[in-house]
Amino acid sequence: MRKERKEISQDDDRSPPADLRGADSAESSNKTRNCSGVGSVSGSTGPSSMEFQAPCPDQVLENVLENVLQFLSSRRDRNAASLVCKSWWRVEALTRSELYIGNCYSVSPRRATNRFSRVRSVSIKGRPRFADFNLMPIDWGAHFAPWVTAMASAYPWLEKVYLKRMSITDDDLALLAESFPSFKELVIVCCDGFSTSGLALIASDCRQLKVLDLIESEVTDDDVDWIACFPESGATCLESLIFDCVECPLNFDALERLVARSPSLKKLRLNCYVSIGQLCRLIVRAPQLTHLGTGSYSSPDDVVPGEHASDLQSALASCKSLVCLSGFKEMLPDYLPAIYPVCANLTSLNFSYANIHADQIISVIFHCHKLQVFWVLDSIRDEGLQAVASTCKDLRELRVFPFDARGDTEGPVSDVGLRAISEGCRKLRSILYFCQHMTNEAVIAMSRNCPDLEVFRLCIIALHSPDHVTGKPMDEGFGAIVMNCKKLTRLAVSGLLTDRAFGYIGKYGKLLRTLSVAFAGDSDMGLKYVLEGCPRLQKLEIRDSPFGDAALHSGLHHYYNMRFLWMSSCRLSPKGCQEIVRALPRLVVEVIKDEVAEGPDNTVNILYMYRSLEGPRDDAPKFVTILQ
Amino acid sequence: MSSSSSPMQSTGRKLKLKSKDDETFEVEEAVAVKSQIFKYMVEDGVSNGPIPLPNVNGKTLARVLQWCQKHADPTITEDELNKYDAGFIDVDQAVLYDLLMAANYLNIEELLKLACMRVADMIKGKSPDEIRRTFNIKNDFTPEEEEEVRKENAWALGP
Repeated sequence: MRKERKEISQDDDRSPPADLRGADSAESSNKTRNCSGVGSVSGSTGPSSMEFQAPCPDQVLENVLENVLQFLSSRRDRNAASLVCKSWWRVEALTRSELYIGNCYSVSPRRATNRFSRVRSVSIKGRPRFADFNLMPIDWGAHFAPWVTAMASAYPWLEKVYLKRMSITDDDLALLAESFPSFKELVIVCCDGFSTSGLALIASDCRQLKVLDLIESEVTDDDVDWIACFPESGATCLESLIFDCVECPLNFDALERLVARSPSLKKLRLNCYVSIGQLCRLIVRAPQLTHLGTGSYSSPDDVVPGEHASDLQSALASCKSLVCLSGFKEMLPDYLPAIYPVCANLTSLNFSYANIHADQIISVIFHCHKLQVFWVLDSIRDEGLQAVASTCKDLRELRVFPFDARGDTEGPVSDVGLRAISEGCRKLRSILYFCQHMTNEAVIAMSRNCPDLEVFRLCIIALHSPDHVTGKPMDEGFGAIVMNCKKLTRLAVSGLLTDRAFGYIGKYGKLLRTLSVAFAGDSDMGLKYVLEGCPRLQKLEIRDSPFGDAALHSGLHHYYNMRFLWMSSCRLSPKGCQEIVRALPRLVVEVIKDEVAEGPDNTVNILYMYRSLEGPRDDAPKFVTILQ
Repeated sequence: MSSSSSPMQSTGRKLKLKSKDDETFEVEEAVAVKSQIFKYMVEDGVSNGPIPLPNVNGKTLARVLQWCQKHADPTITEDELNKYDAGFIDVDQAVLYDLLMAANYLNIEELLKLACMRVADMIKGKSPDEIRRTFNIKNDFTPEEEEEVRKENAWALGP
């Protein structure tokens, strides 16, 4: 701590109000402030050593405020501390080391870097989530460029960057690589715009790199051998290397050498260009792995099917610390038994790319007693979910994805599977469940059996699908969820829903922060209930629902409290949206034209609005109109 | 920091300290040097006669020295020390302030850290107003300034 105090006084022009005393300064300028806070420095005729006026209580705290505030890590606490008084604001700003920007357009890079001068870690989120589903044209915005440019000069000691749904270019990555000599962690989630050339620069120039995680992002294949760009000699600091989404062929030999000289590597997620034989070779080099993404989990060159099986099995068995398994992008069932020995320790298993039979999945599940997180395709079927329910008593998070997302099939998972899960997995906190049809009864059962639910996302694929047993709307099911699950913060609704369902949400969803609505509701009342009833609502995304201008207006009292509102293919008019701007001038109201989903002329395709300290952005593309 | 305590080589020499209310204390050098101030004095050889500490009262100085003693003890385990610290710092606000001030003034790094963490714990989970009341701090923002900060926090930096 003493060393850091020296850094503080050297680096910072704005000297903090807290005078951090070291032995040397005890003899010199003692700030003899009186208790009313009027400052006066005693100047050159300082009192003799060890003598000065005892500070009163207010002063004591002020003198050590920087030391104290350093121990505040939560954003909430820091935000509260910054509001106490001016000196606390100043010191909090000096001591905040993690900057979190939930909407990159809510604040400018300049304002953020002006206020916080000693940041080491930055998280920025950009596009709204519905953009993931091709509901919005590309090139909408959320550029990393202005941020990295500002940070390059403001935060030379930056160590971590986390980006979600941002547009990143190779130039941005180049600037990052050259600007931050202490750079340690880069996590990129659902981003695009960069290529293997950019990755190559990160690999070669970030000598302290511990984490390079590329998750669900689109990376252009520039034919650059980025893996080979990591420094060739000496051990690396790498702890996590995740690149399963990078769909570019790679230089396996370089990868193998890299893994061999990365003794700290704990997390490794390979892309589909790594075969089983190669996987074996890698695992053998890294038995200390805790998280493994298996790549293709396929062996196109097998002379005999499954010829690598025993090698793979023993390689996996040597990974005593493995707790998380994923990958299986082109899974060959012959190799499935190889993972049985590691299943007993697994807490997380992602099978969402493995299109295999239910009984094959079940054979794995029966070994997975400790599983807490399970992602799987609906090819698991209801029987598979029953197996999960009887084995995985510790399950916290379940995601069941559709293999075939068309709405016309019978559907391998249903209310039967959901009910089974609710009965077997009582500790469930988060569920995402795609199915063709559902019943209220099963949903109500889950609301009663799983009181710890925080996230409930039910996606009934067949549009406007009622309870397939009773023929009634799904209102009661969702109503029970909001009523019984007292910790619920995130909800996604689907199926045939009337305004009644929204009435329940408005009445009981008091902790709700995120709500997704698709193809649901009867009238404006639905949206009105939600906007008037859910005081904690932050993020609201709605598509293809019959909500119009009147509904939009009912939220005027709340929009400044929300991160954003997205409404696409609803019944909004330009005039209705314009009135929002008139009433709430600090809201940025974007009307986005989507060629594909274009409706009649006087309706708004996509409304995306969010509060901002900066006013309309200056990088909006042609298809975006910012109402003013 | 703590290579200061090697009691095997203790000279057995003691430092004399005098608190602001004229209480005198004798403490072994090996213990006293937990404070950087005393460490320099010992190294510079200026430790004759009682050292006046006009900024620390006897009660607080006694407490601080007790802490130093414990932390200079080579036989104590880390677990025991943590437990001791937790109990030591669980004091009311007035005492905490005295300890803070003393640790800062005497430059006892680990004690300062312990006290600061305790203060931080008293801040956690509180609203700005609650924090002000806890520490008797005057809000010197104008309503407009306060609103701007509140907005910036909520809109840009919110959860």
